[in-house]
Amino acid sequence: MPEEPLRILVAAVLCWINFVAIDIFFRLPARGGVSGATAIAQEVEKGGGDLHGGYMLGNIVSSPDASAGTLLAACGVYCAGLPGGLFAALLVYIGNRICYDPGYAGTTGAITATFLVVGMTGLGFAASDFIAGMVIAILTIQGISHVHSSRLIGRLWEIRSRGGP
Amino acid sequence: MIAIYLCAGIAVYAAIRVILERNTMRKLPFVNVLSFAVTAIIALLIPHPLTILAAAAFFIGSTFESNAIASTWSGGMKRNG
Repeated sequence: MPEEPLRILVAAVLCWINFVAIDIFFRLPARGGVSGATAIAQEVEKGGGDLHGGYMLGNIVSSPDASAGTLLAACGVYCAGLPGGLFAALLVYIGNRICYDPGYAGTTGAITATFLVVGMTGLGFAASDFIAGMVIAILTIQGISHVHSSRLIGRLWEIRSRGGP
Repeated sequence: MIAIYLCAGIAVYAAIRVILERNTMRKLPFVNVLSFAVTAIIALLIPHPLTILAAAAFFIGSTFESNAIASTWSGGMKRNG
């Protein structure tokens, strides 16, 4: 079993892939879900970032998306095992409806993350590694440089939008 | 044990970025990071099945607040498409 810092780092990479892939699959960078998300995207673009990346940043702020699903699922598995993770998915579903979000990115992210975390605990990882890992993953997108993270998402979005609906 | 200190460190960092950022809309992603870190700390501090309710209530509540702030700032709740 690897040391804790290494496990957290691996967990951060897995969480990052889980939430970015699901958010882009559910077309979060396409447009702002509510007017607040659009306004955040416009400010990010004004600061030198990418508009579509900004939409995703705004949507993450405005409603529980796959990143929130991943975090809450990891918390659920940490506190109550597999049922805890699935319960977290239900809470994210309710949260989406409260935040006026018609999408299913958050719920899907929570369910995939639950199985990811439960599966990885079988390989010697702890659920707490994924909680810390997800905080690092969201830090890289929302908390370091909005210009660079929005451009990265913009580039990934170009690839996604070329692939059809 | 490292996990909780890491989350606490990231929470403090995000709080500082919130204070330093002057544009209100661009503050909100940092607030989001802060909420993530605090949610993680709640769960890591109290490993009890009911904690998931507290963590989710805090997180969804703070997301809803950010949503409200951003939408009010941009001129009220309008659905875009």
